[in-house]
Amino acid sequence: MTPTTAPRASGVTDPRVLTLGPRVAVVVRPRPVVVAITFVAVTLLAGLVTLAVGELGIAVGELPRVLAGEGSRAQEWVLFTSRAPRLGVAALAGASFGVAGAIFQSVTRNPLGSPDVIGLGAGAAAGAAAAALVWPGYVSVPVGALTGAALAITAVYLGTGRGFAAPHRMVVVGIAVGAMSLAFVQLALVRTSRESAQQVAVWLTGSLAARAVEHVVVVGLVLAVLLPCALALTRPLQMAEMGDDLATGVGVPVRATRTLAVVVAVVLTGAAVSVTGPIAFVALTAPQIARRLTRSTGPGMIAAACCGAALLVLADLLAQQLIPGIILPVGVVTAGLGGVYLAFLLVREWKRVAV
Amino acid sequence: MNAQVSPLAVEDLVMAYDEAPVIDGLDLAVERGSFTVIVGPNGCGKSTLLRALARTMRPRAGRVLLDGAPIAGMRGKEVARRVALLPQSPIAPEAITVGDLVARGRYPHQGLLRQWSPDDARAVAAALEATETVELRERLVSSLSGGQRQRVWLAMALAQETEVLLLDEPTTFLDIAHQYEVLSLCSRLHAEGRTLVAVLHDLNQAARYATHLVVMRDGQVVAQGRPAEVITAELVESVFGLPARIVPDPVTATPLVVPAVS
Repeated sequence: MTPTTAPRASGVTDPRVLTLGPRVAVVVRPRPVVVAITFVAVTLLAGLVTLAVGELGIAVGELPRVLAGEGSRAQEWVLFTSRAPRLGVAALAGASFGVAGAIFQSVTRNPLGSPDVIGLGAGAAAGAAAAALVWPGYVSVPVGALTGAALAITAVYLGTGRGFAAPHRMVVVGIAVGAMSLAFVQLALVRTSRESAQQVAVWLTGSLAARAVEHVVVVGLVLAVLLPCALALTRPLQMAEMGDDLATGVGVPVRATRTLAVVVAVVLTGAAVSVTGPIAFVALTAPQIARRLTRSTGPGMIAAACCGAALLVLADLLAQQLIPGIILPVGVVTAGLGGVYLAFLLVREWKRVAV
Repeated sequence: MNAQVSPLAVEDLVMAYDEAPVIDGLDLAVERGSFTVIVGPNGCGKSTLLRALARTMRPRAGRVLLDGAPIAGMRGKEVARRVALLPQSPIAPEAITVGDLVARGRYPHQGLLRQWSPDDARAVAAALEATETVELRERLVSSLSGGQRQRVWLAMALAQETEVLLLDEPTTFLDIAHQYEVLSLCSRLHAEGRTLVAVLHDLNQAARYATHLVVMRDGQVVAQGRPAEVITAELVESVFGLPARIVPDPVTATPLVVPAVS
């Protein structure tokens, strides 16, 4: 692989192009690459700290020995059964939320148009509440969550009157759908017995406690399949952000692109939510932070994924260590931090233009 | 390309937003190498006709033909390599430079894995040159004046390197000097051999720049031809409901519509 620069015309810079044979010439911007690598490094560092801290922690120096199967039974249990799966789920779910958020914000042309705000998370929560409390025993909670998310996005699609082609309406209708979903969740919680309600309430906050290897596999597989799809959609989405007419003019099948992108984002969110619960605000903040740092002019999927992973791993570390002796659900931490960010965004949006 | 075949034509076109069609059975063949301008009063269907030509709206019935072949069965990028569109209100991404925006016009020539080629660099440079925006290349689009911005959008459409260029009211939102700047630029692009189809609001501007004028009313073409032959006092009265006198434009000798009201 040799990085080459396209011939310069009239003394101006052309994009850096990575060529591979005659058929591959990928545009690479240095900034997003640096940002993504930094986020991966942050994720790894926070991960190592997560594994190391506390009484049961495994020091970095010990790690290779335990990985090689030479640690004590207690150490192996801590690593393979407790902390590593939790860490894995945090990183992969964070990445999924990041990509889903990047897609939704691109489709709605609005930094507020994340799955949290347009009711996808709330819909998933309502689905989970229905599966666990209202009609228990028919479907599992994760399947309920996925169904709820799909129903919520269908309601948004129908509610706008013009499908996904009306970005601002999507945000407004989404907020309504989210509010109705939350009302349903409240109703379900109030009407059921305390113990099961308690369980569901914890799930609804978004928690990474007691995650197992199969959870890592579920989120990892979905991400492995859908991240390439999201990458392939980046350029068409970028064109669609400039308006449906313009995108059609350059040959983007706008409706198909948008529908496909929404399906990818819904499945990513659904898979992650079904494992972690609706962890708030990662999908909202990660793509925005990534976009600011990379100064990119389109949805940067890789940077959003890396940022989401770093955010959730960091938030989970905070959740475990913030108050000594008490492990908070990670959703509490992300909601606390994300709430501040949401307020900032809303103020900025109001100053600029009415939603 | 066969000069006899129209690069872009519609046959028995029916366009409708709801029940009642805006355009009901319209035929039009754009002449190769012409600067065709579509005019007509508000609601006459001129923008809708352009939407059909640009594929941004699907006809309810009838066909749109690109070089004689139905456009409906073609791939989007294939069409976009032959027809470019400057829509009425495109959205510039936040914090994008002029160079990056114009480079996006190369999309139909690129692929998933083949995102840049020397051809792209050449086409972008040529488009900037043609629109006199070379020195703006590193500037942010958001920092430009209305006239500069419109030239940059035109450059993006030019970077597509198409034979046909569609323009949807390219002078709206511009002050009068910039309106003429953009129209002169269009005229120059036409002189270089492109086929231009524009929707314009101003009858006098249309008369001045068009080589072929299409006048619409109630979804029908009521007159077409060279502006000097088409624009008469009777036509302006019957189509626009405006009593007018037609005098030769003192600068270009094209017909000038002077409203006969006080």
